[in-house]
Amino acid sequence: MESHEQQFLILNEPMIVGAMISIVVGALSILLGLTYFKKWGYLWREWITTVDHKKIGVMYILVALVMLFRGGVDALLMRGQTAMPENGLLDAQHYNEIFTTHGVIMILFMAMPFIIGLINVVTPLQIGARDVAFPRLNSVSFWLFAAGAGLFNISFIIGGSPDAGWSAYFPLASLEFSPTVGNNYYSLSLQIAGLGTLMTGINFVVTILKMRAPGMTLMKMPMFTWSVLITNVIIVFAFPVLTVALALMTMDRQFGTKFFAMQDGGMDMLWANLFWVWGHPEVYIVILPAFGIFSEIISTFARKNLYGYKSMVVSMVAISLLSFVVWAHHFYTMGHGVMVNSIFSITTMAIAVPTGVKIFNWLLTLHKGKISFTTPMLYSLAFIPIFTIGGVTGVMLAMASADYQYHNTMFLVAHFHYVLIPGTVFAVIAGFHFWFPKVFGFRLNEKLGKLAFWFITISFNVAFFPLFILGLNGMTRRMYTYSESTGYGPLNMLSFIGAVGLGIGFIILVYNLYWSIRYSPRDETGDPWDARSLEWATHSPVPVYNFARVPKIKELDAFWFAKKNNQPLSDGPYEPIHMPSNSGMPFLMSGAFFAAGFCAVFSWWIPAIVFTIAIFVFMALRSFEQDHGYYISVEEIERTERELGGDKE
Amino acid sequence: MKIDESLPLEYSTEENRLKILGFWIFLGAEIALFSTLFAVYFALENRFGTGPSAQEIFHMPPVMIETILLLTSSFTIGLGIHAMRLGLKKAMMTFFVITLVLGLGFLGVEIYEFVTYVNEGATIQTSAFLSSLMTLLGTHGLHVTFGLFWGTSILLQVRKRGLTPQTANKSFIFSLYWHFLDVVWIFIFSFVYLKGLMVL
Amino acid sequence: MMKQLFPKQHVMGFVFSLVLSVVALSVLAFDMSYKMGMAILLVTAIAQASVQLLLFMHIGESEDKKTLYTNIIYALFVGVVTILGTLLTMIWGYQ
Ligand code: HEM
Ligand SMILES: [Cu+2]
Repeated sequence: MESHEQQFLILNEPMIVGAMISIVVGALSILLGLTYFKKWGYLWREWITTVDHKKIGVMYILVALVMLFRGGVDALLMRGQTAMPENGLLDAQHYNEIFTTHGVIMILFMAMPFIIGLINVVTPLQIGARDVAFPRLNSVSFWLFAAGAGLFNISFIIGGSPDAGWSAYFPLASLEFSPTVGNNYYSLSLQIAGLGTLMTGINFVVTILKMRAPGMTLMKMPMFTWSVLITNVIIVFAFPVLTVALALMTMDRQFGTKFFAMQDGGMDMLWANLFWVWGHPEVYIVILPAFGIFSEIISTFARKNLYGYKSMVVSMVAISLLSFVVWAHHFYTMGHGVMVNSIFSITTMAIAVPTGVKIFNWLLTLHKGKISFTTPMLYSLAFIPIFTIGGVTGVMLAMASADYQYHNTMFLVAHFHYVLIPGTVFAVIAGFHFWFPKVFGFRLNEKLGKLAFWFITISFNVAFFPLFILGLNGMTRRMYTYSESTGYGPLNMLSFIGAVGLGIGFIILVYNLYWSIRYSPRDETGDPWDARSLEWATHSPVPVYNFARVPKIKELDAFWFAKKNNQPLSDGPYEPIHMPSNSGMPFLMSGAFFAAGFCAVFSWWIPAIVFTIAIFVFMALRSFEQDHGYYISVEEIERTERELGGDKE
Repeated sequence: MKIDESLPLEYSTEENRLKILGFWIFLGAEIALFSTLFAVYFALENRFGTGPSAQEIFHMPPVMIETILLLTSSFTIGLGIHAMRLGLKKAMMTFFVITLVLGLGFLGVEIYEFVTYVNEGATIQTSAFLSSLMTLLGTHGLHVTFGLFWGTSILLQVRKRGLTPQTANKSFIFSLYWHFLDVVWIFIFSFVYLKGLMVL
Repeated sequence: MMKQLFPKQHVMGFVFSLVLSVVALSVLAFDMSYKMGMAILLVTAIAQASVQLLLFMHIGESEDKKTLYTNIIYALFVGVVTILGTLLTMIWGYQ
């Protein structure tokens, strides 16, 4: 048995020690490399202090890819452990830690940043803006997210990982039953990252509402921009709930309050309630932008405008409201009455309707289109049937009485992976391939892209379809092993093989990145896919100021019609462009957040308070700072445009 | 920076208008935050375990003083913004100072109230009811505390730099924050104290 | 000068909010049913919040007023759903 003593460095697990050593070696070699190639200045000036939405987006995606790797290794370990009955790869405690970190990382540190990264790169370009509404705040958002992700990830070597599941239900997550600092990491790191996300939400709502190019009314916005708007509205109103829930968790665990306690009037299930009040909207936060991405890709490669634009918008608005009234479907079996379960059953089924509307819209967009089967399009096409399976099993789970059968079984695990992987992972990969040339000026290799696609899609089904059957046969989730007599062995082995295939698919994807950076031909046009929306109207890579002249919009897909009719989107002389200046403050302030969070994890209150004061000092400095940005002169615009191959619009 | 003369200073630049809208949306998030705290409080208000109940610890006099102080401060900051729009820097600063002093008074009484509770054996660890009560009040109190520092820093900037589009914008946004805290207090006053003391 | 510094609207708003607080206090002064008391509290609190929002915060003065109203309504929707929904699942509907 594992000892539950509190340790500072985790030294009794060979696997963790190995990881620790490789992290230290990796970090050291990066530091040495930066010094050797004299890149510190470059890193600081061009990336760490940047307020450019495109670079911030790239950094988000970079972190997300690293986290995909980390979460993926966790997943492989779990599938490896359960591949055979009574396997000894992981013990119970280690398995608990790994499904917890896998879930948290995949949702909060992989899916969220990947999506927010794409939002950052694309949204301002799609609406013809020079940057986001609050560029400095955007940098703060990113660095807070990075601080949160960093804090969460060091848990497994310093102090121990959280082990109460990604949903961290009480009483299991209470100090009594989870005495290590693991769950302190959970509450504090998610708190820090969540603050960053909330600021992103505010930033993009204002950006989209106030900074669209002249003539672009709301109903002329690209569908991705619409999805971003709705997503960020949900973020603004859902994340405060998480903030409160996490704060109460911290207080219960570290200050002895009784919110979720089992005595003195506490109510353990109140945590589950709050968690899912945030949690269900969160599901739509990661799914709606994906819908937007697929809409763009499908209409681009079917060479048709999106079918039913209005119904798409209406269904998203409906989802944004309905997503707040379904949360109790996550705990039908908690013990509340028939009335409550019926209400939430009905709202849950209702939310399937607008989602279904969207599926039909995509199908009708494809209908009679001239489809080109590029890599992003393949992901979008595969998404439709796979996501539909996820959706249909979701409706099965939505029926409260039937859920007593499925609840907490592998059926549920299969369901949510069938929703999250096509819905979010396929979408971000498709978007990654689609917008990559915009940011870097060359496309990813299509052959390797397609190879990865087939690996990922087929392996995904091999990995997860068996789980439906296992679930119906009674295998529960979060179960670290089982006896041979259960008969679960063969299907679990099959699932493991699928998981390995998925891993290979992701490796090919990363290899493609490397290959394309070295060998891919440059795209001179700025519009390699012959696409429809404004981001393709400027150069690739995009100059800092995005558009030399702000485009004027007359219709939806204005760029497409401008191309077809050979009419420029803008004219007239260049004017000096006002840009925000870079700043190192967001980075430093997030450093203080990280330090304060770390100290608070271990209840070292005095240093934690000192670092918290530092945070406020940074805020005060910012308040007194007078920063009016700078102007890019007309000559410089002309020079840049010439270098990038001439006036685009 | 393009300055639109037809609008009040705080709205006069594009950046200013973005900031005001952004802050309103932040207040939307704050509504969600306080609603969640209220939800927790309502779920736990009758679960006082072996500790005291609401009826036993609430006293109206300090609460009334707090209410009057905060309502008045909300009024004075409104006057401050009004003076600012008339370009009366001195009057504006005076109203802001009064507002902050009233806020400080509120905070003083609230701290007194907390000390009284603790002396009566009602701490944040005593029961779920008290945990939720003190967290709700404490969150509001922390907002007020933050506001005192923020308001002071804005006052210093106005004194140094005069009424510019930037300082006017900050002052206006601060006034939104302060009014919002008053709104939250009204709900605490009504649905924590008065509801708690209502004879059933 | 006084007239200029103390506009009538603001003064009236302030007096109104004081009056509303006193009305709210009446739930303690008079013997009334729980429902009646809650009704009074709801009405006075909402009226007070509206005074702040409309009079003091000038929600309707800018070009973005539609957005601002939508924002507040959305926030109230989420807030009310969170409060009533939590009470429904955790208290009223619990067996
Ligand atoms: C890449 C392939 C993936 C594999 C092979 C995989 C595998 C697994 C496994 C084996 C479990 C635990 C089952 C159990 O014992 O209860 C799990 C749980 C989970 N996975 Fe994945 N997963 C993958 C990707 C993802 C992605 C992309 C997401 C989210 C975007 C995700 C979110 C989750 C969540 C939230 C849990 C629940 C954790 C918990 O029980 O607390 N997974 N996954
Ligand atoms: Cu849900």
